[in-house]
Amino acid sequence: MPNVFQQPPLKASRELYEGKNPMATVYVMESSGGMVAGDRNDISIRLKPGSDVRMIQQSALKIYRSHTGETCVQSIDVQVEEDSRLEWMPEVIIPFADAKFQMDTTIRVAKGSKLLWGEILAPGREKRGEVFDFTSLKSTMKIAVDGELVAFDAIHFTPDTMHYAQLGMLEEALYIGSIWLVSETSSEIDLRNIQESMQVGNGLRAGITRLSSHAVHCRFLGVDQWQLQQEMKRVFTELAVRM
Amino acid sequence: MKQPSAVSNNRSNTGATPTDLQFLRLLQIHDSAFPIGSYTQSYGMETYIQEDIIRSKEHLIEFCSSFLHQNLVYGDAILIQDAHAAARNKDSVRLLELEQLCGAIKLAKESRDASVNLGRQFIRTIAPLVEDPFFDEWQNRIKLNEVKGHYAISYGIYCAVSEVAVHHAVLAYLFASINGLIQNAVRAVPFGQNTGVQAMHELSEEVVHATELVTTLTEADLCNNALGIELASMKHEYLFSRLFIS
Repeated sequence: MPNVFQQPPLKASRELYEGKNPMATVYVMESSGGMVAGDRNDISIRLKPGSDVRMIQQSALKIYRSHTGETCVQSIDVQVEEDSRLEWMPEVIIPFADAKFQMDTTIRVAKGSKLLWGEILAPGREKRGEVFDFTSLKSTMKIAVDGELVAFDAIHFTPDTMHYAQLGMLEEALYIGSIWLVSETSSEIDLRNIQESMQVGNGLRAGITRLSSHAVHCRFLGVDQWQLQQEMKRVFTELAVRM
Repeated sequence: MKQPSAVSNNRSNTGATPTDLQFLRLLQIHDSAFPIGSYTQSYGMETYIQEDIIRSKEHLIEFCSSFLHQNLVYGDAILIQDAHAAARNKDSVRLLELEQLCGAIKLAKESRDASVNLGRQFIRTIAPLVEDPFFDEWQNRIKLNEVKGHYAISYGIYCAVSEVAVHHAVLAYLFASINGLIQNAVRAVPFGQNTGVQAMHELSEEVVHATELVTTLTEADLCNNALGIELASMKHEYLFSRLFIS
């Protein structure tokens, strides 16, 4: 890594290599244990031409109760330059009861470069019965390939004023998973085959679709976190091999 | 007919009252027989119908309500409002941004394609009836494939150059979208005609509230919380037998 600038509580590990594999693995660590009212995390990632990187979040991101009424903000800005490849392995984002959270992710991918990105949102500390008890959660994900905006995924949940279980909304689902793929070879991937081999059921639903500019999006809605994560990992790995 | 500019338009401060002619124009373009193919689109509803989830009037209303309040209001409706304003200001740069946003928020391929197909068919059908240089320029950009031609954007521009107030443009669009879905459900589930009529009657009030809400929203509010519908729209691509294109 030519340049690393970090301030606590955020920290990037040094790059790690598995054997002779040229892919660098970097862990993103958050040492504070979670975000508290008004905290702001800014993460900027720039892959110089020819880079091959896998980034892994070390742990789930917890958003604590907003006792001051302020919103926690996490901003991730990614630039993938020419002939590069970036994988971002997701960890779960957990908004606690009365949390206010805004998450803005912007990813710019150069023509011909590759991206595989995942994200998982939890309804709260579900096993404690804390489900959609947060105050607000706003998440925007923008992906531009060679200057063209190919995806603008925005959700804004305010559980007090919306019926998230309504038909057409989340229905019985509690967890939301997303995978984004950008790769010029994605046009060769048989999406029907992936769709039909999804291990769904028991509350897990999934769908895969093509975006413009060789991008693919996959969404998971699930009741059980473990089941959703396992299936997401399986699809993530399958796409990683084919990208 | 050349349209007067906004500055010299002596009807501009009574924009919330459509003239009889503007009212009839809206009725015509939103008629289910207007040839832009809205009767071929279900936006994911057919997946629910095949999974036997929409079985009663109550289910249909619940589904349409989610589509209205959690998808259309925070998506197409905001874009129509902004496209209307941009067209009145003759701001092509802004319209190009809105076009990109309109495509990017529709993640499911079939719903995105539907938006472009309806938009292109709308422009082709309406173009011979409109005389406005700004509208012609937009039509030309679509012909040259400089823009995709999403329905919400072209519709917003048409309403602006035809002096249809933005309030009525949004109100009519939301009503027609929901009415179209209900008509399609009546044919596909199938429901009796009376079920469809009653469902639309109940939802009309929600359409009015939704239109009011849109006036308070801006581009910063764009979002889609109707994730179940979006997922169903993605899965629709892979259904084996289908009545609808989306």
